[in-house]
Amino acid sequence: MAEAKKEETTTHKIGIYLWIWGLLFVLSFFSYMVDWYNFQGLLRWSLILFFMFLKAGLIMAFFMHLFWERYALVNVLLWPMTAIACFVGLMVAEGKYTVFSRLFYFFVGGA
Amino acid sequence: MSDTDLDKLPGGFKGMSEDIGSDQTTFKGVNWGKAMMWIFLLSDTFVFSCFLIAYMKVRASVVEPWPYPSEVFALEMMGVPVPLLLIAIMTFVLITSSGTMALAVKYGYEKNRKMCGWFVLLTAIGGLTFVGMQAFEWSKLIFHDGVRPWANPFGAEQFGAFFFMITGFHGTHVSIGVIFLFIFARKVFRGDFDTGKRGYFTTMKSDYVAIEILGLYWHFVDLVWVFIFAFFYLW
Amino acid sequence: MSDELNINKKRNNQIKTKSSATSGRGETDIDYVRPAELPEQDLYHGHSFITKWIFCQDAKVIGVQYTLTAVFTGVVGLILSWMMRMQLGFPELFPFLTAETYYQMVTMHGMIMVVYLLTALFLGGFGNYLIPLMVGARDMVFPYVNMISFWMFFVAVVVLMASFFVPGGPTGSGWTLYPPQAILEGTPGSGYGILLMLISLSLFVIGFTMGGLNYVITILQARTRGMSLMRMPLTIWGIFTATVLALLAFPALLVSSIMMTLDKVLETSFFMPTIIKAGEALSYDGGSPILFQHLFWFFGHPEVYIVALPAFGIVSDLISVHSRKNIFGYRMMVWAIVGIGALSFFVWAHHMYVSGMSPWFGFFFATTTLIIAVPTALKVYNWILTLWRGNIRINTVMLFCLGFIVTFVNGGITGIFLGNVAVDVPLSDTYFVIAHFHMVMGIAPLMVIFGAIYHWFPLVTGRLLDEKLGKWHFWITFLGAYSIYFPMHYLGFIGVPRRYFEMYDSPYMTSAVGMNEFISVAAFIVGAAQFIFFYNLVKSLRLGKPAGKNPWKANSLEWLTPDVPPTHGNWGEKLPVVHRWAYDYGVPGAKEDYITQTTPPSEVKDAEVEKT
Repeated sequence: MAEAKKEETTTHKIGIYLWIWGLLFVLSFFSYMVDWYNFQGLLRWSLILFFMFLKAGLIMAFFMHLFWERYALVNVLLWPMTAIACFVGLMVAEGKYTVFSRLFYFFVGGA
Repeated sequence: MSDTDLDKLPGGFKGMSEDIGSDQTTFKGVNWGKAMMWIFLLSDTFVFSCFLIAYMKVRASVVEPWPYPSEVFALEMMGVPVPLLLIAIMTFVLITSSGTMALAVKYGYEKNRKMCGWFVLLTAIGGLTFVGMQAFEWSKLIFHDGVRPWANPFGAEQFGAFFFMITGFHGTHVSIGVIFLFIFARKVFRGDFDTGKRGYFTTMKSDYVAIEILGLYWHFVDLVWVFIFAFFYLW
Repeated sequence: MSDELNINKKRNNQIKTKSSATSGRGETDIDYVRPAELPEQDLYHGHSFITKWIFCQDAKVIGVQYTLTAVFTGVVGLILSWMMRMQLGFPELFPFLTAETYYQMVTMHGMIMVVYLLTALFLGGFGNYLIPLMVGARDMVFPYVNMISFWMFFVAVVVLMASFFVPGGPTGSGWTLYPPQAILEGTPGSGYGILLMLISLSLFVIGFTMGGLNYVITILQARTRGMSLMRMPLTIWGIFTATVLALLAFPALLVSSIMMTLDKVLETSFFMPTIIKAGEALSYDGGSPILFQHLFWFFGHPEVYIVALPAFGIVSDLISVHSRKNIFGYRMMVWAIVGIGALSFFVWAHHMYVSGMSPWFGFFFATTTLIIAVPTALKVYNWILTLWRGNIRINTVMLFCLGFIVTFVNGGITGIFLGNVAVDVPLSDTYFVIAHFHMVMGIAPLMVIFGAIYHWFPLVTGRLLDEKLGKWHFWITFLGAYSIYFPMHYLGFIGVPRRYFEMYDSPYMTSAVGMNEFISVAAFIVGAAQFIFFYNLVKSLRLGKPAGKNPWKANSLEWLTPDVPPTHGNWGEKLPVVHRWAYDYGVPGAKEDYITQTTPPSEVKDAEVEKT
């Protein structure tokens, strides 16, 4: 297993890079198509996010070699993202609350 | 730690617990500079995340309509507005430069001076093209559409502010990367990495690992663009 | 044969099978440590005065540079606090103390103390000096970047100080710099003052990032042979975790500074809502002031722990050394530090209960806040249990450690009050809050800083500080600080609001006046007592008792350098090899009451040392 990996990292790499390269073009094209065909609503969001994370994952894993790095480094890099995720989640809620109170007090006229 | 020693270590989570429990280094086989670049990129991820979170929060709470990016960023092609055409080309250019950088890193590993140098140079040119196109995009928005950081004709005024700030910050990253790419292309061609010439400022020996570190930075810039593309242009 | 030997044998065998090395080592080689993974570090040795002492790449010199700069800003902060207390205790005594200058002083005092004194001193000062020494490295991994880091910090301080001299003076928006008022006309220093503050903060963040990367990578990737993470002194654990927090939290400050600068200069509306001034709408429209608060506290709360965690770590080491006993629950302490660090990213909005954020957030943040109290309390128990039946030396260092525990518990408990939404609402924006955070992140870390300086001064200079002056310094500071902040809890309970320049004709005018005068007098005395300390530093530098090697009989590596004080490169010819943790004090069966980290197991066969 380790031997096979080793071979991959030093000699067979150019193939992998070209594959990922091509895949990134295809995925970018797909996400562009999301806009072209003007999908709306939940379908648009989920497709955008899906392609985005897939592209980001491919770049990180192969172009940035994270796939071949040891778990110590991978884990150190990925766990802090939970703080970001928490921040994002809470700010979604906060944004909704702000727009609610603006509409309620400025336009509806408040309680 | 040489590559052959690394292969003898267990992988996966078992390897992780052993690495963390061991002495000397926690990231086995990872060069100091590379480890530093990774942690720096982690910190930079937080910078861009904060920008994008701020953008999300403000966009979610404005009561005026948010401009529809598909129309704002459309480009006239033979009389027909094509949505996001320029952005699509910019994405194409940046991904291309990312691919050439990946190959430069590969040839750097192999200590192939010629190929490595050419690919670094190619990457630099790709980056320069991207910055040029961004300048074109900005000038179109400013002079043609009348978008300003403090106002725009399409709707909520934060649209322009966030657009210029976030793409500007990303563009700054790209520009810094381009400068370094040109410097390093020169260093590769001159053979600094083969002779281990000492750096002018740091007085430390040059090594091909510098290309890998620069590559990490460059891929990160591409990575950020993926998120900006999704959140700013498509959303 | 003791257990120690057998265990060492067993471990040794495991290592052997792991590394599958077959060089001619005997079965009984209990001193075996894995060979070095990395080649010797390449160092730049300065030749001229400038490269040796000014643009120096030696982490130890950079640490001292950081410390001196931070202490200088700290003295400015101290003088500002004197002036504020002058106004609060004896209003209208000085005609130059107007409401505007008062607010400017409050702002600059807060920012200087939190960011430019405490953060820079703990991480830049102690971090630079101690990290390479304590992990057994020759220097930081990127000495050149480290040098730039200090000079960035220096420029940040110069820019900050420059704001005292620009038209309009420094910003007076409170240290949290909340928009919209921070950049609107009417707030003191809303022109150049706030701009310089934001620029200075950005420079600080950039400079700190350079230093922080150095600290993290040195600890992770440049430890000496035998130094596993779980053998590092807790000082290093505290500084390490705090640096990681800083690298991840300062981005939020940088982003909010950039956005506010744009709001100020380009009149964008990131944080600026629609504002009507004197019947006329300003050009701002639709921004979100609460977003700034979220960004600021996403930085601000980890910042509290950036200051507190190094203090936790350092105090653990000081207590252990000066009570000649191993630290109680070392692993628990490490996990508590890491756990507090991780949790600190999930508690930020407990600073914002009355800000008008989504009311549902109260549940989430009150819960996480109370959870974070668990590892913190655990640390306090461990300190006390370390002292329990220890061979305590009541010297100045120990006094400051004890002072820290008391003030920290005090501030921590009031923190529990404020973490609960229902209790916080009536108490917020009163002097109770002032008392809380000055106790927990003002006095408590300062106690540790003083203790640490008394402890490590002999290492830096080769001379001991004067004990007699030190004890005077401690007692005046400790009792004085209590006289300042303890009554403030009461002021908070009766409702005296913070950030008021004067009480005018409010009922507080009569009920709080005596107490305010008392607090002010105590503040003057405590401030003055710090000059005893400065005098002690200067005097002992020349006339102090020569310390010799390892005056405290400590175990950790920084005391074991061939030269005292350590020279550039730290270790002379050969890097040290570590065989144990840093806490083998008073081990039964050992010849002396301490076993240094470099003592090989074969030399202490009969001692019942901990298995680390």
